Amino acid sequence: MAVLGALKAGRTLDFDEILRETGINKDSLFWALENLSKEGMVNVERINKDEMEISDEGRDYAESEMPEMLLARRIGKGKIEIGKISEQRERIGLQWAKAKGLITIGNGTVELTQKGREGIGKESVEKIVLGKIARGDIGAAGIERSEKEALENLVKRKLVSIRKKTIIGNISITDAGMKASTTANGEIDRVNRKMIMDRSWVGKSFKKYDVKVGVEEAQAAKMHPLRETINNVKDAYLGMGFTEISGPIVEPSFWVHDTLFIPQDHPARDVQDTFYLENPERMTVRNRDIMRAVSREHERAWRDEWRTDVAERAMLRTHMTSVSARFLYDLKDYKEYELPIKIFSVGRVFRNESIDYRHLADFYQTDGMIIGNGLTLANLFDTLTKIFGSLGFGVRFMPTYFPFVEPGVEVQAYYKEKKEWLELGGAGVLRNEIVKAAGKKASVLAWGLGIERMLLMKDSRIKTISELYNNGVGWSRKM
Amino acid sequence: MAGVSFGKRYLFRLIGKKENERRLLEHVPKMGVEVKGITKDTLELDITPNRPDLLDIVGFARSVRSFTHRAGARSYGIKDREPQVEIKVEKSAGKMRPFISALVAKRIKLDDVSLAHFLSFTDKLSDTYGRRRSKLAIGVHNLDKIVSPLTYGSFEGGSFVPLGQGDKMSYSEAMERTKQGSEYGYTIGNGKRRLFPALKDAEGTLALIPIINSERTKVTPSTANMLIDITGTSGYAVERMSELLACSLMDSGAEVSRVRISYPDRSIATPEMKMRHIEIPLARIEQSIGVIIGFNNVLSLAAKMGYGASYGNKRIKFSVPQYRMDIISEQDVVEDMAIAYGYDYIQPIPVFSGRPGRLEDRTTLNKRISVEMVGLGFSEVMNSYLTSEAVNFGRMLIKAEEDSYIRLKDSKTQNITMARTWLLPSLLGNLSQSVHESMPQRIFEVDYAFGMKEGLPSEGYRLCCVIADPKANFNDIKAVAEDIIRRIGIDCRIEAIRHGSFVEGRVAGIISKRNEVGLFGELHPEVLDNFKIEEPCFALELGI
Repeated sequence: MAVLGALKAGRTLDFDEILRETGINKDSLFWALENLSKEGMVNVERINKDEMEISDEGRDYAESEMPEMLLARRIGKGKIEIGKISEQRERIGLQWAKAKGLITIGNGTVELTQKGREGIGKESVEKIVLGKIARGDIGAAGIERSEKEALENLVKRKLVSIRKKTIIGNISITDAGMKASTTANGEIDRVNRKMIMDRSWVGKSFKKYDVKVGVEEAQAAKMHPLRETINNVKDAYLGMGFTEISGPIVEPSFWVHDTLFIPQDHPARDVQDTFYLENPERMTVRNRDIMRAVSREHERAWRDEWRTDVAERAMLRTHMTSVSARFLYDLKDYKEYELPIKIFSVGRVFRNESIDYRHLADFYQTDGMIIGNGLTLANLFDTLTKIFGSLGFGVRFMPTYFPFVEPGVEVQAYYKEKKEWLELGGAGVLRNEIVKAAGKKASVLAWGLGIERMLLMKDSRIKTISELYNNGVGWSRKM
Repeated sequence: MAGVSFGKRYLFRLIGKKENERRLLEHVPKMGVEVKGITKDTLELDITPNRPDLLDIVGFARSVRSFTHRAGARSYGIKDREPQVEIKVEKSAGKMRPFISALVAKRIKLDDVSLAHFLSFTDKLSDTYGRRRSKLAIGVHNLDKIVSPLTYGSFEGGSFVPLGQGDKMSYSEAMERTKQGSEYGYTIGNGKRRLFPALKDAEGTLALIPIINSERTKVTPSTANMLIDITGTSGYAVERMSELLACSLMDSGAEVSRVRISYPDRSIATPEMKMRHIEIPLARIEQSIGVIIGFNNVLSLAAKMGYGASYGNKRIKFSVPQYRMDIISEQDVVEDMAIAYGYDYIQPIPVFSGRPGRLEDRTTLNKRISVEMVGLGFSEVMNSYLTSEAVNFGRMLIKAEEDSYIRLKDSKTQNITMARTWLLPSLLGNLSQSVHESMPQRIFEVDYAFGMKEGLPSEGYRLCCVIADPKANFNDIKAVAEDIIRRIGIDCRIEAIRHGSFVEGRVAGIISKRNEVGLFGELHPEVLDNFKIEEPCFALELGI
């Protein structure tokens, strides 16, 4: 029926056009057209067509050059001993160059003829035709008459083969077919182009549909819910005048731990939580000045020997604060009036966890930082309250401890579903030791927050974090 | 974070009768301590690593008492007398755990509950601050069972009755046959000719350090006098720890005195109990927090956090109690003032700056590509960056070059061993979970894949999309590829290539400046079968 529907507009279509419009597969369409033409519903013409197929060898030449040309170029103005022509392609070239009168052979040497010399640098007709066939440029009209001889040569050379093929084309609907597409009592089912143009619907009635009948669900393509949350977070930062930064995922421990004043024997560095790498095992810290400044602060505060080999172990970052740290240490030549500088980043972080529905090995975090003069805890609270406010959360702050901030703040947001406050991340005023090692005179506010949890808190359809990374098509369609 | 469990009756006895549970639970989070749970008899807390003093029920009660204004700062002094106990440190100690400190606590009143809390406190300290006894470990002994002289050193062997064991064992046997031996043996290594650090008296071995004490000097509720030793790899840490323990024991009512430690080259008496002072201008405290406090209030906030404090010349002089091992600089004191002031009472103040924010160009480009993909009818997926060789290479019928990708060390999850080198296996993983959903299925991902370039890790964004559809063919994916190439504006050409994951003759490379930047084609039925996918799939993957 779909075939009749497509033809109903009184059009004449070929096989491929119907295939596209109806979405029926090739075999079914053949079968349907056979039947419909037997029943006299459609007219079908059988058309004979040459189909050209290019061989691997032919494709090769089409992309490079013909072997006789290759040989001619090599001979150039001089002579070549025939024994020295040993490469496979040149041997083939020899045979065809001779047949075409491009070369003469005498006394065991080969020399170009006048015709051969003129041919150098030009594309032969054979090459042009071969190229067209390789690109599929030879349309229904076939080839031009001037190219006919070249094509015959190509066939002779087994570079191209021609197959005669009968195809079905010029398919149109008959009156009987037309009738079959309206209902038995003369009501109009599908409205078509012809009807609209010739107003033949006037005075007829339309078949009434059952509007309550169930239909198959429409499937919209969409962005991932987590992506939407990430975009919302970025928008919230933008609205507060923050600029986005990014940084490496694979880092030496130095940028993840040492620059942030985390002692070298701190449990957070344990293999328990961190993905260290087998390949590469170490990554060199290039900036030796920064390294010296960092080791000085460590040894002064922690009174333990600071070791380069511990700092240069390669790992996957465990927090986005490494990105902020790089920014702070690398920041050069800023002017007083440019302060405060507000930056943020969003990206994946990694934990070596046993994976279950609540724990994933990688997840998203956002880090933010304000570098300024005389910044206070009160400034930090204001910034976080506003960012979260624009994302629809109420937040509160609790004292806690992170090695790189002092005072340290736990950021909690209210979770309506569970009627409880949940930890979203940590914040604080960056330790002076870090700011000093980075060579800055500034006060720095910093925070790091989990993203997945925000989505879980806002969207009650999502129950677990692992759901977000399963990406079942069924799940996605329900979102 | 370390979890502790405090007996409620004992805790309220220490804090003072008038405190009730409801009020206590309100105060605790404001002190920076997380309440993990409450049972009929116990309070479960999470203690942050900077406050080892709070792992102690006595120390915790001390902080609650001052935080709720029940008590002010106390000074923890020890009378300056020549110590009556001496530990001689042999040269051999230097090879393993060079440092030791010790203290004597007399006239202790213990019961089952308080002793259990004290021992669990010292164990927690050795586990957390002491990094599972490798950096530092604490031993508690009955002083009255000890016969001078005391010696600390490393020995080739010896024998004693370990704590809780009936029989005499050699050091090696104690390492092999006790629970503590198997748990902490790693701290002294297990080579063939190893040395055992031990503390000995005239009668024999007091402790195989840092593994297990002797049964002979075991502490019981009736013990009146104790000797505590702290050994480790850092002289600074063992000294500070002896002071922390001294404070706790003094708060429990014991008389604490010093022990002389005689190293081969020097002699000291521990715990030193020197009070540290930090002076901070009042204005700096106020400016850091963003509130006006006033000097009178600052003095009472200091007392609330257990500091002694005095005011002069617009500066506050803080006396840092000896149990606060975490106070490194003035910033740490400022935090305590903020906690005492109360985070809830700090009024937010905006940060002014007139400059607009900006997204990275990369974010904008990725967004543009993603919107295009959704327009082409693909839904976005987001997958883990981590995978395994079996999925990334094996199921895809391609071979891995040993050093061409990033491999993880000691992963806790078996199927996570490397960072993915391309996105396509992730997407096929998604489709393999969706075989019962209706066709067609069209998904895409724009995200990171990883590799190695000249010995250094490389990270880059890629686009991948897959069409699973019985009606689709090569041209469908080619049309998508060409649209995206146009959209991003890549200068490239399309050429036939060979690729193990795709059907031969139905895969094309996207070549830009002689580099293959992407590919598209029809996936090989063998690959589909590896992923248990039941419909033909066509895929495009492109570095962007």
